[in-house]
Amino acid sequence: MPQIETKYFGTLPYGEGSTFEFPFGLPGFENEKQFVLIELEQHAPLVFLQSSLRKDLCFLAFPILVADRDYQLAVTPDDLRALDLNPTRQPELGREVLVLALVSLHDGLSATANLMAPIVINWKTRRALQAIRQDSRYSHQHPIRPRATEGAC
Amino acid sequence: MLVLRRRAGESLFIGDDVEIEVLEVSAQGAKIGIRAPRETIVLRKELKLTQQQNEAAARGLTATDFEQAIQKLRG
Repeated sequence: MPQIETKYFGTLPYGEGSTFEFPFGLPGFENEKQFVLIELEQHAPLVFLQSSLRKDLCFLAFPILVADRDYQLAVTPDDLRALDLNPTRQPELGREVLVLALVSLHDGLSATANLMAPIVINWKTRRALQAIRQDSRYSHQHPIRPRATEGAC
Repeated sequence: MLVLRRRAGESLFIGDDVEIEVLEVSAQGAKIGIRAPRETIVLRKELKLTQQQNEAAARGLTATDFEQAIQKLRG
């Protein structure tokens, strides 16, 4: 099994199924084209996106429904095409795509999730991108309250 | 914020060398043309916000802060 050096957890083995290709990188990190999804039972529902290239780059993320249990996807047709998904409809959460909200920590350890630009991963092809919404329905700094994260999946 | 009313075909300048032209206005939105020097960076606001937010998210934590933050996040 391949191994990856991580920012927070030392060296970890990972399955091929947890490696995702980001052909465009992420805004601000255009060179980071591959991330490994790290899910650890003791940290659930929080997950980690560790860059394959840079050990010191590891994003914290929540599954989008954990951050907001009523979240409605609005991925643009262009982004859907780039993900090899049907551009005429929104993909099915969980079955077709894994959608994650990146978490930022601020002073005093308050946390926000970026619901305006979620990470959308095509399970089947393992291609992924950060899908910036064209509407203003969700904030790029959605506050996360402790305990609000329980009970959602 | 300075607010101006412009019709399709009209434009305005920001400084000496950035020109913003309203090309088309419809129910779907306004189509904007921008004439600017090559070195001027033009970004949609949501892309700029995402970039800044990603940089903030990547700043991350030191190993010591990590456990504490995680506990807090998990409630």
